[in-house]
Amino acid sequence: MTQIGTAGRRVREGLVASLALVPSVFVYGTVFGGLAVQAGLRAIEVLGMSLLVFAGASQFMAVPMIAAGASPLAIVLTTYIVNMRHYLMAATLAPAFATFPRAWLPLVAHGINDESFAVAVARQNPPDPWVFIGSVLAVSGSFIAGVTVGIGLGGLVADPARWGLDFAFPAVFLALAVSQLHGRADRLVALASGALAVLIALWMPGNWHIIVAGVIVSAVAALVRDAEGA
Amino acid sequence: MSGRIWLVIVGMAVVTYLTRAPLLLFLARRPLPPRLRLWLRMIPLAVLPALALPLILVARAPDGARAALGLGHPPLWGAIVVVVLASLRVNFLATVAAAVATVAVLRALG
Repeated sequence: MTQIGTAGRRVREGLVASLALVPSVFVYGTVFGGLAVQAGLRAIEVLGMSLLVFAGASQFMAVPMIAAGASPLAIVLTTYIVNMRHYLMAATLAPAFATFPRAWLPLVAHGINDESFAVAVARQNPPDPWVFIGSVLAVSGSFIAGVTVGIGLGGLVADPARWGLDFAFPAVFLALAVSQLHGRADRLVALASGALAVLIALWMPGNWHIIVAGVIVSAVAALVRDAEGA
Repeated sequence: MSGRIWLVIVGMAVVTYLTRAPLLLFLARRPLPPRLRLWLRMIPLAVLPALALPLILVARAPDGARAALGLGHPPLWGAIVVVVLASLRVNFLATVAAAVATVAVLRALG
């Protein structure tokens, strides 16, 4: 009983620690839900994607590609590349879950997300599994709630291009990119990859420029940069 | 159309789960090698601009693609607004909204 008691308390601790993130995750979900509906996805598809994939950046990436009729293989591969960063989080979280009931791990794994990882690791490293789960509950709840509200709002705008809403996708990607840059070397990686992608997109149809530029530039950066600080 | 979208969604869900589950389920004990960690950290840094910049700077038409770099190209100004505001750590929604509004206003004027 005491153990369940402490677990419950730590789940609550994770929830409370994530409250500051709830508004921004909610808004992020709302923007996604609204734009996805605008791009022509049905409400059930937008909600289904948010529940099954539950990885914001890759969902934002997929919507304009779906709308433009990109090949499913290109969309799925790009999703994989964008989400490979989860390996990093899963590897860091794994030791914390060594004594955790194994049956729950497949579900816990699905909840891995940038925000909850940051919250749990910031509190203690290796992170506390229950605090992490509490944060996942707060983040997933506010994301799905945001998406639902966005689906409702997205149907209200009749002519998206007139309001510049077609520019929301590149704006989201660029804002996410800039928010991850720490220092000159990061900026160089971002600029090189963006420039290479533009060059490839100029002579190659389809969406392969994203994967090709992203993988090449990140790999070169990983080879030449000092790996110890990572 | 709808069946194709679900195919994409399920495919995305499967590959994303494959990035989350294996190392957690098999309780990886050792941290990943430093250079692999560095690469995994570099991927989003490289992929996001590779997604964004061609959407802004490349105009695609059925007869081919060309660079859209003119000062009269509203998305260029929208992009500048995003980079400035996001660098100043302005809130995500406000940043995106300001960029969208910039593009809408320039289009209305143009």
